[in-house]
Order: sequence, then structure tokens, then C-alpha cells
Amino acid sequence: MKLSKLFLSFISAIAILFSTSVVSFAKVVGDKIVLGAAISLTGKYSSNGVHTQNGYNLAVERINDMGGVKVGGKTYKFDIIYYDDESNPKRAAQLAERLISQDGVEFMLGPYSSGLTKAIAPVTEKYGVPMVEANGASRSLFTKGYKYLFAVLAPANLYLDVAIETAVELNGGKGVRIAQAFEQDAFSQDVRLGILDAAKRTGSEIIIDDKLPKELNDMAATLVKVKQMKPDVLVVSGHTKGALTAIRQIAEMKVDVPMLAMTHCDAAKLSKQHGKNSQYALCASQWHKSLTYKDKFFGTGMKYAKDFEKKFKYDPPYQSAESSAALLVFKDAFERANSFDKKKVRDALAATNMQTFYGNIKFAPGGQNVDKPMVLFQVMCDGSGKCENKVVAPLKWASAKLIHPIPKWSER
Amino acid sequence: MNKNLILYTGILIFGLAAPFIFPAFKVQLSILCVLIVLATTWNIQGGEMGYNTFGNILFYGLGMYLCASVQVGMFFPLAEWTESGGEKTFVHTPAQFFQGMAAGLVVAAVIPTIVAGLIGYAILGLRGHYFAICTLGLGVAAGEISGGIEIIGAGQGFTTPPFPNVGGLEARGEFFYFLSFGALVLTFLAVRAIYSTRFKLILNAIRDNEDKAEAMGIETMKYKIIGWMVSAFFCGLAGGIMGGLVGYIDSTDVAFDGREMGVFMVLMAILGGKGTLWGPVIGATVFHVFKEGFWTFFLGWQYVALGVLIVVIVIYFPEGIMGWLREKYPERFGEVVDEADRKAQVELK
Repeated sequence: MKLSKLFLSFISAIAILFSTSVVSFAKVVGDKIVLGAAISLTGKYSSNGVHTQNGYNLAVERINDMGGVKVGGKTYKFDIIYYDDESNPKRAAQLAERLISQDGVEFMLGPYSSGLTKAIAPVTEKYGVPMVEANGASRSLFTKGYKYLFAVLAPANLYLDVAIETAVELNGGKGVRIAQAFEQDAFSQDVRLGILDAAKRTGSEIIIDDKLPKELNDMAATLVKVKQMKPDVLVVSGHTKGALTAIRQIAEMKVDVPMLAMTHCDAAKLSKQHGKNSQYALCASQWHKSLTYKDKFFGTGMKYAKDFEKKFKYDPPYQSAESSAALLVFKDAFERANSFDKKKVRDALAATNMQTFYGNIKFAPGGQNVDKPMVLFQVMCDGSGKCENKVVAPLKWASAKLIHPIPKWSER
Repeated sequence: MNKNLILYTGILIFGLAAPFIFPAFKVQLSILCVLIVLATTWNIQGGEMGYNTFGNILFYGLGMYLCASVQVGMFFPLAEWTESGGEKTFVHTPAQFFQGMAAGLVVAAVIPTIVAGLIGYAILGLRGHYFAICTLGLGVAAGEISGGIEIIGAGQGFTTPPFPNVGGLEARGEFFYFLSFGALVLTFLAVRAIYSTRFKLILNAIRDNEDKAEAMGIETMKYKIIGWMVSAFFCGLAGGIMGGLVGYIDSTDVAFDGREMGVFMVLMAILGGKGTLWGPVIGATVFHVFKEGFWTFFLGWQYVALGVLIVVIVIYFPEGIMGWLREKYPERFGEVVDEADRKAQVELK
């Protein structure tokens, strides 16, 4: 008798706990369309996770205020169930499973980062749950043949492609010497592949090719090499922490390099956090508020930025803008499908062809958005030390001229 | 003995029926099985042998990568599978998937066992804190190294083969549940069998006084290595299953996840009561249920809640749940207590 009683009571306790926590939400409750999302609220991606969540929330509020979604002659409102994935792929996959099989969610929004999207995609695919994601740019997401995955953003290998091409152009068409350092994660490694392609295409040479750890807070070793070898371009990518670390240490060590190309400058609020030290940094961006796209919900990018700032008290990084766009895509697809059937919604998503404040959206068979180029902006400061991000490439949207080469620290 | 049989049959029936009673919780239940395996095997070192290892995560991660690599590599070129820019799409047929999984699990269990033997030979001479710190380094190093190996995806991560299109929507969940439950039963029976032999007494002797054990003529090194190899075998197996279950392997966040899994396995064993057969099982179950509860009801504060739980465990149950029960109801554990003696002891305290 010694243990069996104990064990029985134990098992019944678990059973009770399990059965009470089964709260079954249907995909559509009353006049609500329930979407599910696992977001990094804690862990290494937490700041970008919050940008993503803010973007989703702003769009949900706006769409609901402006009449909601009309399906079958009835209007519905959006609602989102959030879970915290702790920036951990294992957790994210588990939460996707939970959203679908326990909470009954039939439509998903993406998490933040390529790695987490990679972990969730097999689950949504298995259940045939359409997922519109706004923050997973890794190219390998779009080559696995996923049918229910749609990304409103351009793939990661295109992020800094333009920077290399610009550098080569400024070098009179001759190849340049590139130094690069990338975080060991799915997104940054894909940006790296893009640079390798661009280098091959332009006849450029990669002289430093470093890896940065995931818990990124020091890249002095790379910078020492950069000081010694004097490359023409320094490329750094490692989400928000990568951008912050690079600028901090480049300023501390007074590293002179003619061109500094990065990702995630706006998410890291570089121009605010580091002011003049971040000047001249060249950043890849999916979106910038000065672009001239339009839609009827948010108006222009400028108007979106103003509304966002009013609600969340900071300038929207592109991570928020693309997340808001994901909701616009869902609304459009629901209305065109005129149904809540997962298969029909998926087909409607696949046929998406629309313009939003964030850019044109049209999906390739692999699920990536093929109708929206990347932009490059440069951090520019005026005499009083106020810094701003200005689009410098492609020329169609440029609002300022690229400053190249970057002046030496001794001359600043 | 008879009562034990009833208990085991009851648990077995419950385990087999669980995915049908709680169909929505298959994934959580599968993870619970894996957690129990990890806690039980950690207990062989940390509980019975007195060697606090943080290195078991090495075998778990190794198993995960090996299983997935074999499953892919048996049928397709591995490098092309993991290379992110690859435009090709590979799809496993059901037969390929299951054969690959079976072969992968065998490799996932065997290779870590060998690795444990080799590493154990090198470092099991260390004792106490030195051993703990050394093993801590093993997991961290493995994470960094695997994050640089291109053929297994490096920083890109490794997407394991998707479950083939057989048997409807629930098939995947059921397959992985029964696989992990099978691993749990296997582990438990094996460990139980080991604990009923002289081997356990030797491990305990090493824990209580290693020098004395050696002086008695026990080749402690040999037993320490064998003990670690047994752990590695089941850790690798658990890792292989977990890789398939999660579907995506990242070097530091999923495979060599020392910060979470590596610490959790220690916590679970301590919570349940180390040095007991049932302690890790109970500890893992309580831990997992609490953790899932915190993650549902205290979103945003889950780690604070978990931290409070750990503090409470350490303060009120330093010997774990089993240890606490043993102290409260010693007669249920087959200990004969002399009432006068017990009173005298309480007064002394």
C-alpha cells in the first residue's frame, strides 16, 4: 500500500488540473475571429517581440474600429491569443501545438525571428492552419514546400545585397574587400549567404568572416582585425543586440571603415541610444515611414508612424510595420474567401495582391513576398546632434544622398 | 510485491490511455515522459553516485542531432538538406520516415554511450565541485561547436523530417507520445533492475565515501564510467525523440539547452528526492505540471513563479518530496521505527 495510494491521488490531481485548463476557444466565437500568436516577450528577442506585438495590436484595433471583417454578410472583429515563447524554438513549437489543439485556433500570426518561425511552420503545416508571418525572413522557410506559410517580408538574403552593390558601384565597378561578422542564428546566417552571393557576383573578396555568439555583447576580436586589415565594407548582423554592440564598440575602439552596413538599426533605436556615434551607419530595412505606399486603414507610412508613436511612445521600427501589415493581409483574405474554411482562406491568401502602407504584397508559391524590395537607410545627424534615419537606396525612394566614405574618427 | 504489481499495471494502463483521455495534451505528455527519463538518468549520477553532473545535456543534444542526421542521411544528401539556400524539397515516404527514425534512435542511443565512456575515462577522476564545473563546460562547448558545423545546419538550425501523411491529424502526436512513453518505460525498468543489484550499492558506496570504497577493493572508476554510460544511453534516446517531436533543432536553444533542460533535469530530481527510484518521476511530473500551469496563468511572470517554487523547494523540502514523505511516514517505506527512539531524536533537535 505504501506508494500506490500516493500515486493514485497524484494522478487524479494531475487529471483535475488538466481537465480544468481545457478552455476551448473556437476559431470564431460570436463575432470574433480568434488568431493565435507565440511572441517572444522574454528572452533574447524580447524587444523585437514587443515591437511585433505592438504592430499586431495596433492593426487589430484599427481594423476593428473601422468596421471589422465582413464575411458572409456579417461583420467580425479580430482577437489575438498571445503566449510567450521565451525566444526558444522548442517552446514555440509547443505553443503552436497548444494554440491549435487546445485553444482551437485555426489561423495563426507569426512569431518574431526566423528560428522560431522555422520551429512553428511544421506544426501549422501539419494541421493545415494558415499562418501569415511578418518576422521570419530566412530563405530556407520558403524552400521547404510549405503551403500554409505566408510572409509579408522579403527574404533575408536580400537584406544587405544592395549595400554591397552600392559599394562596388562607388568603387568604380571593381570588387571590394568585405569584412563580415554574423550572429549564429538562422536569420543572420541567411543574411551572410546573401552577402556571399553578392560578393561572388561582383567579384568582391571576403577578408574577414567571423561568427558571433548568440548572447552577443562583445565583438572586439573582429574589430581588432578590421583595424588591421582595413576592409572597404564592414557588415554586421545580429538582431538588436548585434547592432547595439557594433556601434558601441566601433565608437569605443575608433574603428575607421569606409562603409558600415547592418541590420536592425531601427529596432535597436540606434540613433536615439547612441546618437552621433551611430552616424553614417547603413541599415537594411523592410520598410521606412517615408516610403510612398498607401492603404485605407493606416493611410501613408508617415501617418502610421504618427499613430504608432502616439500609442506606444516610440518611432515604429519596420518589425512593427510588417506585423501590422500581416493583419491587413488576413482581413483581405477572409473577405475574399468569404468563409472561415481553412483551405479557402489559404487559397485566398495565396492569391493576395494588394498594397498596404507597408508595401505591395504578393506571395510567391514558396510563401515569400516578391513584390516588395528592401530599402537602405543611413543614420544622419545634424549639427545639434539630433539623428535621423534617411533612405538612401534604392534611388526611387531616396530622400538623401549616401555619405561615402564615412569620415575618419579623427576628423569627426 | 502484489501491491507493487497493481501499482505498475495501473500506471501502465494510465500511460497507454492518456493520449486518448487527454487528446489535446499529447505534446505536453510526451515532453513529460522525456523529462522523467532525463531526471531518472540524472539521478544515477547526482543521486546514487553523488556526482553532480551538468553534462548529461551533452548526450541529449548529441542524440538529437544524430537521430535527425541519420534519418535524413539514410535517404538524402545531408548537406543539401541542411543548406538553407537549397531550392530542392525532399520528402520522406512513410516507410523512409519510420525506418530512418528507428535507425536514428539506435544511433542516438549508442554513440552517446560510447562518448560517455571516453569522456568519463578522462574526467571522472575529478570529484565534487571540480567535476560539476567540468561537465558544465561540456554542454556549453558542445553547443558552440555544433553551432559551427555546416553539415548539421550550424547557426541555421536543422529542420527534422516532417511527419509523413499517414493516419490523419492525430497520428504524429500519438506516434511521438508512444515513442516517448516507450522510452520512459524502458528507462524505468532498466534503472529499477540496476538498482536491485550490487551495482547500486557500489554507487552508494562511492557517494558515501569513495576512498573507503576503493580501499575495499572496488574499482570505483570502472563503475563510475559504466553508470555514466547507462545515463548517456537513455539521454541520447530521449534527445532523439525530442528532436523529432520539436521538429527543429537549434544548437544552443533546443539541443544543448543547458540553461533550461540541463538545469531542469537537476531540479526535477532534487524536487522529487534524489537517490530514490520514484523521486525523479514524481519530481518531473510535479515540476512539469507546475511549469505548464505557470506558463498559462502567470504569463509574463512565469519565471518569477518558477523561481519562487524553487526557493520553496529548497527551504521546505531540502530532501525532496520523497525525502519529506519518508521523514513523515517512515513506516510506509518499510522502516521500523522505535517510537521512544524517534521522540528522543526529536527532542535532541
